[in-house]
Amino acid sequence: MSLLAVDNLRVTFPSDQGPVEVVRGLSFALGRERLGIVGESGSGKSMTGRAIMGLIGAPGRVTADRLEFEGRDLRNLPEWEFRKLRGARMSMVLQDPKFSLNPVIRIGDQIAEALEFHTQLSASARRVRVLEALEAVRIDDPERVARLYPHEVSGGMGQRVMIAMMVVMEPALMIADEPTSALDVSVRGQVLDIMDDLVRRRGMGLLLISHDLNMVARWCDRILVMYRGQIVEELGAGALNTAQHPYTLGLLASLPKLNEERATLPILDRAALDGFMAGAAR
Amino acid sequence: MIDVRNLTVRYGDTTVLHGVSLAVAEGESFALVGESGSGKSTILKALVGQVDDWQGQMTLAGHALQPGRRADLARQVQMVFQDPYGSLHPRRTVDDTLAEPLAIHGIKGRDARVLAMLDAVGLPRRFRFRLPHQLSGGQRQRVAIARALMLEPRVLLLDEPTSALDVSVQAEILNLLKGLRAEKGLTFLLVTHDLPVVSFLCDRLAVLRAGRVEEAAAVATLRAAGLRSAYGRELLERSGLV
Repeated sequence: MSLLAVDNLRVTFPSDQGPVEVVRGLSFALGRERLGIVGESGSGKSMTGRAIMGLIGAPGRVTADRLEFEGRDLRNLPEWEFRKLRGARMSMVLQDPKFSLNPVIRIGDQIAEALEFHTQLSASARRVRVLEALEAVRIDDPERVARLYPHEVSGGMGQRVMIAMMVVMEPALMIADEPTSALDVSVRGQVLDIMDDLVRRRGMGLLLISHDLNMVARWCDRILVMYRGQIVEELGAGALNTAQHPYTLGLLASLPKLNEERATLPILDRAALDGFMAGAAR
Repeated sequence: MIDVRNLTVRYGDTTVLHGVSLAVAEGESFALVGESGSGKSTILKALVGQVDDWQGQMTLAGHALQPGRRADLARQVQMVFQDPYGSLHPRRTVDDTLAEPLAIHGIKGRDARVLAMLDAVGLPRRFRFRLPHQLSGGQRQRVAIARALMLEPRVLLLDEPTSALDVSVQAEILNLLKGLRAEKGLTFLLVTHDLPVVSFLCDRLAVLRAGRVEEAAAVATLRAAGLRSAYGRELLERSGLV
């Protein structure tokens, strides 16, 4: 049984011009693996992550033929049931620790919050779990870091704290939405390593949402390429060179290379692409 | 065109630039590469007079700069920032944004100049009276570039001009910058952490770390992945490019 099964997922928002579908019939299954979703702004990749977490509120609407997590139907799950899942069985890491950590609460207390909400552990047992979680994300001096406020740590350390906050409950599914985009390249590798390690050792399923095609290709077992709310192509690990869809090919071509000799970069021809997609849909 | 010698900048007790020297010739495109905190943006800030307390010598477009005094160089040097969402006034139309520098400097023929600039940066003329929120990220960055070029400067300082943009939009803006430079003979000083962008847009680069220049190289060296300094090699490896 797969961890997460999604069939014909649709997310719709109302607008002055009538309803706008931002995710248009997405289907995929996720096991205990690393699955990457790649796309540009507006492709619907973040909305997909939020829909799975049940975080799309009114007036947005989520529909699906099937949306199952660990065999449970998530469609029409009441909010109080969802709250028991979120943070416990499924968790989310966001892009920028500067904005996702509460600036006035100490790091240790923020991590302990999930334990307080989801478990009956005593304060001292919670403390042990918090320090373990900080150690798991390779923070050398967990006792000291637990006492710090978010502004006292660097971006890379902040992101590790976010991951610690997520793994403290040992969820089965982790959704990471651009977890490294706000970080320097030297710290990126480290954060990805830590997530990789957690996925392998604890057998989590990971959904990595990113705009960075190369990073996702190097790092995930499978990649879904999204454009205008649809999956246009699925690729295996490190198999970017086998991409067929004009959108994926266009994206790859428009990326400058280290040994760049081209006088101009090719531009994505969106009109031709939309024509191609309309033709493929017929 | 740009000559920086022994530039030292301190913020309180912290020294963020330790005697940095670099020279950019007229018409050249030069990149400053480094990670957060390396001091690359501080060099740009010092050049445009946003840092008051610095030591060393700086010459910009033939004018010697003085610490604490803002040189009147708006018609020589302009800047383009990273985030097109933050750098445009949300309640001013494209036309207001582009015409303002002309009004300040008493330049006539505003109408024709604004239209010509929209053409030059590849924005349809019907966008002239739109507000920033009615534009996409790439279109906004075109407006920011247009604004920088309104006074026909000779030098453009570019602070991560494409890192907030999607890959396909980045390609459009990079092409635009390259074309404008060739057409108008501009000098570029580009700050970035993205080595392939340097390879596409620049002639030379300096690698900065913790306020010091670790290495200066020609772009051919970068293209051959031939950076010599330990930190330069580290950047190449971490970018997953070697």
